[in-house]
Amino acid sequence: MTTIVETQIPDQLWQQAQNMVQQGWINDMDALVAEAIRRYVESHQQILSERFIQDDIEWGLHGED
Amino acid sequence: MAKTETIVIADAGPIIHLDELNSLNLLTDFDKIIIPETVWQEVQHHRSQALHHATDLEFVRQSALHFSAQVDALTPLYTLHAGEQEALHLCFEFENSLLLTDDTAARLAAKNLGVTAHGTLGILVRAIRQQTHSKSEILALLRAIPTQTTLHIRASLLTEVISTVEKNTEV
Repeated sequence: MTTIVETQIPDQLWQQAQNMVQQGWINDMDALVAEAIRRYVESHQQILSERFIQDDIEWGLHGED
Repeated sequence: MAKTETIVIADAGPIIHLDELNSLNLLTDFDKIIIPETVWQEVQHHRSQALHHATDLEFVRQSALHFSAQVDALTPLYTLHAGEQEALHLCFEFENSLLLTDDTAARLAAKNLGVTAHGTLGILVRAIRQQTHSKSEILALLRAIPTQTTLHIRASLLTEVISTVEKNTEV
């Protein structure tokens, strides 16, 4: 199942993305956009965010600097 | 106040969030606060008053001079913004550096690069340990986060954080 989205992307960024597709780094723009979103979601997972906050509190309370 | 030897390399988020809490003075005991040029421009755009705070805190506006291939390699993987990328480059230029960021991707990249990183909440709670602020003062700031800042944190997690700080009897 897929969803069709409409979005605005800065011209320069879009051009860079098109260049990567033309150079064969990825099959097409659909795949590139999906990959970009996937990586964004993976790197912003809430669990990670919350773990970092817990690390902060531990450092804040018991760190050495 | 005695300064630590740590050099802070700051991303935009914590500078903005601490200013929103009128608490940029929590950074004064660090040896140096470097704001990467790209981050400086970002803060200037979103909250310029944070850069001209009327305290004894002085920011060093600095561009990265050396570029780490490791940082460049991780940039697309974590979708790092220009400011986060420049901050990480600068972390490699200074020993004893601490990346100050509230961005999860930047924290993750820092972890992979072996760069020490902490965020706004860590700086707030650290003030109790450093005895620059009382526990009650910091608890008041933590409680003000949802209404006074643009820092997004799940309400129940913030409650947990506050509870942890309240229960901590060592400081």
